[in-house]
Amino acid sequence: MALYRNLSIRQKQIVWAWTFLAVPVVFYVVIRFYPTGTAIMISFQEWNLLGARTWTGFDNYIKLWNDPVFWKVFRNTFAYLLIGTPLSLVLSFLIAYHLDQVRFMHGFMRMLYFLPFMTSAVAMAWVWRWFYQAVPIGLFNNILAGFGIAQIEFLNSTTNALPAVLAPAVWAGLGFQVIIFMAGIRAIPTSYYEAARIDGVGWWTILTQITLPLLRPTIVFIVVFSSIGFLRIFDHVFNMTTNNPGGPLNATKPMVLMIYDTAFNSFDMGYAAAQTVVLFTILLCVSLIQLRLLRST
Amino acid sequence: MANLALRNLVKTYGQTEVLHSISLDVEDGEFVVFVGPSGCGKSTTLRLIAGLEEVSSGAIMIGDREVNNLEPKERDIAMVFQNYAIYPHMTVKKNIAFGLRSSKASKVDKEARIQEVAGILDMVELLDRKPSQLSGGQRQRVAIGRAMVRDPAVFLFDEPLSNLDAQLRTQMRLEIKKLHQRVGNTIVFVTHDQVEAMTMADRIVVMKDGHIQQVGTPEEVYHSPANSFVARFIGAPSMNLLPAELSAEGLTLAGKVLDAGRWAASPVGKVLLGVRPNDLYIDEIRPLFEGRVSLREPLGSETLIYVETEHGEVIARADGRMPPEVGATIGLGARTEDLHLFDAASGVSLS
Repeated sequence: MALYRNLSIRQKQIVWAWTFLAVPVVFYVVIRFYPTGTAIMISFQEWNLLGARTWTGFDNYIKLWNDPVFWKVFRNTFAYLLIGTPLSLVLSFLIAYHLDQVRFMHGFMRMLYFLPFMTSAVAMAWVWRWFYQAVPIGLFNNILAGFGIAQIEFLNSTTNALPAVLAPAVWAGLGFQVIIFMAGIRAIPTSYYEAARIDGVGWWTILTQITLPLLRPTIVFIVVFSSIGFLRIFDHVFNMTTNNPGGPLNATKPMVLMIYDTAFNSFDMGYAAAQTVVLFTILLCVSLIQLRLLRST
Repeated sequence: MANLALRNLVKTYGQTEVLHSISLDVEDGEFVVFVGPSGCGKSTTLRLIAGLEEVSSGAIMIGDREVNNLEPKERDIAMVFQNYAIYPHMTVKKNIAFGLRSSKASKVDKEARIQEVAGILDMVELLDRKPSQLSGGQRQRVAIGRAMVRDPAVFLFDEPLSNLDAQLRTQMRLEIKKLHQRVGNTIVFVTHDQVEAMTMADRIVVMKDGHIQQVGTPEEVYHSPANSFVARFIGAPSMNLLPAELSAEGLTLAGKVLDAGRWAASPVGKVLLGVRPNDLYIDEIRPLFEGRVSLREPLGSETLIYVETEHGEVIARADGRMPPEVGATIGLGARTEDLHLFDAASGVSLS
């Protein structure tokens, strides 16, 4: 105790700071950094969960580079990202922008849009699977048939399957993004709009010169957040293509599903770990690039 | 440039009427200040003139043209907001140019106009800065610049100085007044600060609860307040108002009867006697009130003394060097022409 009493105020502050920091530091080291480090280590080994680990150097990475499935999956993952992020950004902004102007049952409408976000992805995926079924079961094909339009193979076609799986994923994320956008729109002082009205500028100028620039921080957040979501897409794909996960012919398989397959169907932990490290690197790069691009003015 | 007229202006929000038939004429080039406590309807009136709110009934005329149903941009007005409303992501120049966006003028003309305005407001070297790099006073000037650049018929100011610190407020007050003398546009200025109103206005409009209480020059409003509200609101410290009674014998103030003087012809009844602190002087021979000094507020050049009299607390102004001691009993006198009488029930001035 005497030792503590003789410390300067600054030193006491440091002691207290580290006392409080110790809990999250321990948590992060044990729960985050240790597994991450182990995963990186395993990516240089061969291991089937039960047997001994053997060092194989860069073998896993070389195998990955030469694996046609990996490149297919790589393209799929970026397709999810490059279609999903802009689409959900534009949709959620449009909804938020108009919902903000709705006075009638505002709270209830907002709740409706938020509902999908609270729903289990598994349940949602199965409902959408039903939507996509052929006549006479599937909702969409029944509607099309009602208009005399030919049936569309949603989940069984290599070209349609990926957008068909992406649609519910976009839809599910919208609620959250709409809420964030609405908070951003609400935070813009009304006097900016009143000043613009007095200056007599049109709605397009107001949108592009005032609303969107002032929403920049919101947009940065949503882009980064939803990009990470689409790069890690798994549950929607897995549940909508359970008979043949990632199918047909790997047309919908994202990286996380490939990792899952490699690890828990083929029990090739080293190879799965290598894929994980690659995915982690991609996520890191994409996020950093987006932050850099969008943050600078 | 143009004159502005309000004709029986009424504004209701649902069932609540917040402006009750306001009528006012503002001359071309006049500087009119709306002043009143919060919730008195002064900002609502300004927003009606600007076209940001819809008129419930009555008419607004700008330059002999009824503008009730015109969009703000068609009214030939510009407004300066309390929080400046300058866009944080645009440079000063772009902010000022925003006022010209809808104008049909050529690029060269616009540029010249921006430079001219920046020159008048002395901020040519600030044009490339962002608002975050400006001080409060400079931001205020940008907001004024954006309003000026369009050369509107009427300038509307909505409490533009209330976000500034005291010293800057005094300085901006002066700048706006100078600016008005230079450009000569009609200005309608809203404030809750009676000092701002007194110092800047050609004419003051005192408002309360959606009614105009009095319209007049600063001198008129100060020296001949129309009612007890105006008397108390204008001038700092506030006018002392004491209950008295006007009768056939004269003016009775707590048992003491004074000569009714110029109020001899006024109807008898309960009244309020008003006297400004700086019209009171220490008078031990023929005092109007007598009482004990309970508190002193030294202000340097003068000292405010709070005197407990039998009529209630009276504030008086005393010499800054030799004010009476706390606890001393003093007599206070005033000249009859400095006294004001108001009807006790209605508050209307009896002069």
